[in-house]
Amino acid sequence: MRGLLTGVAAVTGTALLVGALPWLSGRDIALSVLRARETDRNPDPATLAAIRAQLDLPADPVTGTLQWVGGLARGDLGRSWVSGRPVAETLLPAFGISLTLAGTAALAALVMAVLLAVPALRRAADGRTDGGRLASVAAGALAALPEFVLAVLLVVVIAIGLRLAPTSGFAGPEHLVLPVLALALPAAGLLGRVLGDAVQSTAAEAWVRTWRAAGVRRGVVMAEVGRRAVTAMVPLLLLLLVGNLGAAVVIEAVFDIPGLGGISLKAALAQDVPVVQAAVALLVGLGLLIGGGGIGLHRLLVGPALAGAGLTPEASPPAPQAGRWAAGVAAVLGAVILAGLLRDPTAQDPGKRLAPPSWAHPLGADPLGRDVLARFGHGALLSVGPALAVSAVVLAVGLLVGLRAHSARAGLADVLNALPAVVVGIVVAAVAGPGLGSALVAVCLVAWIPLAVHARSLAAEARASGFYAAAQTSGAGRWYLVRAHLLPVVGPPVLRHALTRLPAVALALAGLSFLGIGAGPESPEWGRTLADTAVYLERAPWVVAAPALGLILLGVIASLVRTER
Amino acid sequence: MSPLPTRRSTAALGLASATVLLTGCFSGGSSGGPTGAADGDRLRLALAFPPVAALSPFSDDSVLISRMGVAETLVVFDESGAAQPNLAESWEFTDDRTVALELREGVTFHDGSPMDAEAVAGALTAAADIDPAPRSVSGIGLTARAVDEDTVELQAAEPDPLLVQRLGSSALVILSPAAYADPAAPDPVGTGTGPFEITEVNGESGATLDAFAEHWAGKPALSGVDVRFVSDAETRTNALRAEEVDVAQNIPIAQLSALDEDQVISVPLPRLTGLFLNTAEGPFVDAALRSAAIEAVDPRPVVEQIYEGQVDLAEGFLSEGVLGGDERPEVTRAPVGDPAGATIRLATWNDRPELPEAAAVVVDQLRSAGFTVELVVQEYATLEPDLLAGAFDAVLASRLYLGDTGDPVGYFESDLTCEGSYNLARLCDPAIDAAVAAAAQLVDPVERRVAAVEIEAQVLGTGAFVPLLHERSRIGVLPGVSGLGSDPFERQLVTIETAVQR
Repeated sequence: MRGLLTGVAAVTGTALLVGALPWLSGRDIALSVLRARETDRNPDPATLAAIRAQLDLPADPVTGTLQWVGGLARGDLGRSWVSGRPVAETLLPAFGISLTLAGTAALAALVMAVLLAVPALRRAADGRTDGGRLASVAAGALAALPEFVLAVLLVVVIAIGLRLAPTSGFAGPEHLVLPVLALALPAAGLLGRVLGDAVQSTAAEAWVRTWRAAGVRRGVVMAEVGRRAVTAMVPLLLLLLVGNLGAAVVIEAVFDIPGLGGISLKAALAQDVPVVQAAVALLVGLGLLIGGGGIGLHRLLVGPALAGAGLTPEASPPAPQAGRWAAGVAAVLGAVILAGLLRDPTAQDPGKRLAPPSWAHPLGADPLGRDVLARFGHGALLSVGPALAVSAVVLAVGLLVGLRAHSARAGLADVLNALPAVVVGIVVAAVAGPGLGSALVAVCLVAWIPLAVHARSLAAEARASGFYAAAQTSGAGRWYLVRAHLLPVVGPPVLRHALTRLPAVALALAGLSFLGIGAGPESPEWGRTLADTAVYLERAPWVVAAPALGLILLGVIASLVRTER
Repeated sequence: MSPLPTRRSTAALGLASATVLLTGCFSGGSSGGPTGAADGDRLRLALAFPPVAALSPFSDDSVLISRMGVAETLVVFDESGAAQPNLAESWEFTDDRTVALELREGVTFHDGSPMDAEAVAGALTAAADIDPAPRSVSGIGLTARAVDEDTVELQAAEPDPLLVQRLGSSALVILSPAAYADPAAPDPVGTGTGPFEITEVNGESGATLDAFAEHWAGKPALSGVDVRFVSDAETRTNALRAEEVDVAQNIPIAQLSALDEDQVISVPLPRLTGLFLNTAEGPFVDAALRSAAIEAVDPRPVVEQIYEGQVDLAEGFLSEGVLGGDERPEVTRAPVGDPAGATIRLATWNDRPELPEAAAVVVDQLRSAGFTVELVVQEYATLEPDLLAGAFDAVLASRLYLGDTGDPVGYFESDLTCEGSYNLARLCDPAIDAAVAAAAQLVDPVERRVAAVEIEAQVLGTGAFVPLLHERSRIGVLPGVSGLGSDPFERQLVTIETAVQR
């Protein structure tokens, strides 16, 4: 009952927010609808008045939304303002397509993440808790791969070069291969990192030693450790599934897939409120459903141990040499950045458009003939700085929310996660206006969720441990419990998780720049550079390589940094 | 540890995901089919824009149905924008606001009904009655009635020299009476007159067309067309490179190098890219600073480097093709002033991939000349209200200037007069307004063109506009494709002569 109420409130709330979009942005609905129908038509007052009359626009967002919600209760999703067709006609097929794509991608990510964790599982079954650096570096690098660069690479190599899969379209299963890979590889990096962490801490649990001492077969130990570790990841995986439903805009565009992300973006730009409302309602409803299911599934997978003080999670011991490696990679990256900082990032020479690397331009020239090395150097701080700031904020919020969540229930996090990031961006841009601040807020709004969900699962397990129960029984205060028993177990994996997401945060910030929020058009910021130059990937790989490698190295460093005391 | 419920739930999860995969939703349809599903003499075509209004001609979709060879207009334009017979065989002005159209004989719609005067008058009346009416007939009070079997009389409320030109707008395609069941959104499926008939529309992803053997000009060479609507330019090009489509519209300049030279057909378009300077507010109120900006901007690096020589340098609004050999009069401008670090905001949009790069070059040139420039780049949809409100000092814009009547005077009216609804330069000069109003009354196309050339010189004299280039459209084709229509108004693409040899 309570869940149903939450659902109705969430759908109505987000529908209202979307319904208020034209009022927040101050853009005339008639003008944006006209633009969507006819690109070149002059917006003379008579035309706009005719469109207004034709649309029968609501007087204010509240009446409009209530009307729409009333229709929804009768199973009517409304009619598009732009095309005049029933929303359900376009939206439901798109929903099915997005579900197919996101579902397959989540499964593929899970499989790849488990593969990444196999070495750690072997070591765990052998009773070793050291090592695993290579897997975590690989995971960190994968997680830092920009989706659209990966997508273009896959098309060029696999579809055009080898003709092994179609370049685009969505007419049959063969069209799933490339988009799923592009979505799943970075996700597998993230999940693999979390999973590796979970394996390591599970391996330190007492029962593993007992089982090994009792002579349980290696395969059985591996399977059980794996199952325990996967539990921490399941809520994250479902989060990813829901997130991809509405947020796979770039992948949908590159592979020409008529999914929900593209429809929501187009409708939000055209202020086609009924379409956006319906898309958001579908996504939020499903998000809540799956979010609730994720918590249930986590409980089911951990089993009765969660309630019976049967777990003994421990903080995993640090890998002794990782810090040195991180310093080494950072030193190389730092040297290149320093070299770039000494050069001029703004000097243009269109004559040197896309010039290959040479003595004068060691990393080549960009489409405007600017020095790539200089822009790489000057963009470093602009890319890493805001990303670090956002990561710090969302880490704090994620831990706070995750540790406080005593009664695990689907809620705000699932709602926000289900909203397409671009729609959140458009709303924030409408409210707060253009600028970097808006982009920071928009990314912060969604980036804390996976961390909170991760912290929530880990905290639930820690609370089920013998030592936590013992401390609680002996009268330990709440703050003491958090500081002494929860943070040491929950903190380091979540911090590592946040670090792994650092490059993704930088990319998310750049992903909103087309709305006029985020780094400015002339900024050498890495994400922005990547977004602007991805079309030249094949022709002038050096233009794309510098910022992409920068982000990947950032991911590698983040995965090597020592996070334990 | 109790493995029992776990196994069950894992199995359930696995089963659920397997079901999703097996019954997975795809966009279906024969269009967008798998690689290499090329069938005999069917053409696989990738168009640039998905339908926005279920292919209703009263929207941008009109260009799509025209391009696919599904529906036809009464007249078509030649290169200079003058009307030529198509479904109408001839016409005659009976007075300055009335035209008698003689229809082509033996034209039938795809549904088998004949295209008689009743049907044509009905189609035109539907267009005139809808509100907002298609832009070419909006606000002129058009009425149409059948005089006899194949004569239609058109009348405007006021004297209208463009009455016939307006019929060339793709929004005025003639569909069979059955199409107008919903008069606000006519349905072109099975109701056009073109060489190809729509048999299936697959949402916004594609459409299947079959040849219409009874077409008035003969039997089409192709047996059908499989259309995909692919909005991403790079994706279209890649589909062509992987030979998944035979023809791809609008190849981006960034990807030309991936195709052979003979794989690209390039057609000049009446689309103008240039810099509008805000004459009503900010530093460019000062004509001397406008002259300084014009002096500073050199379009050659933009044309040669950014557009890689794939466009034509513009000297004014009108292209050489439209000028038809006319000389441009000498332009005199205010003397050049000193920018002295004047701060300007220059805006452009990123929907056209080359614009932000072109803007960066122009900004660099303006900075070198002593301006302080802030560059704003956004999606057009979010930028437009600010553009129209005059929030920027300069706008790098790309815009069609022959509209859909093939006439430049209408463009001057909306973009360069005091009351114009798309006046980016916020130009308000009584002399220009008077000249535009006078030109709008001229009937003879040559006289209109001469008047347009004079207005152009007047506008350039104000320094409100810095012309940069005239765009071209680039159509990518696989070897073996022949007979594609290439008109500068991008209306005709698949014709009865189009053929493909594999």
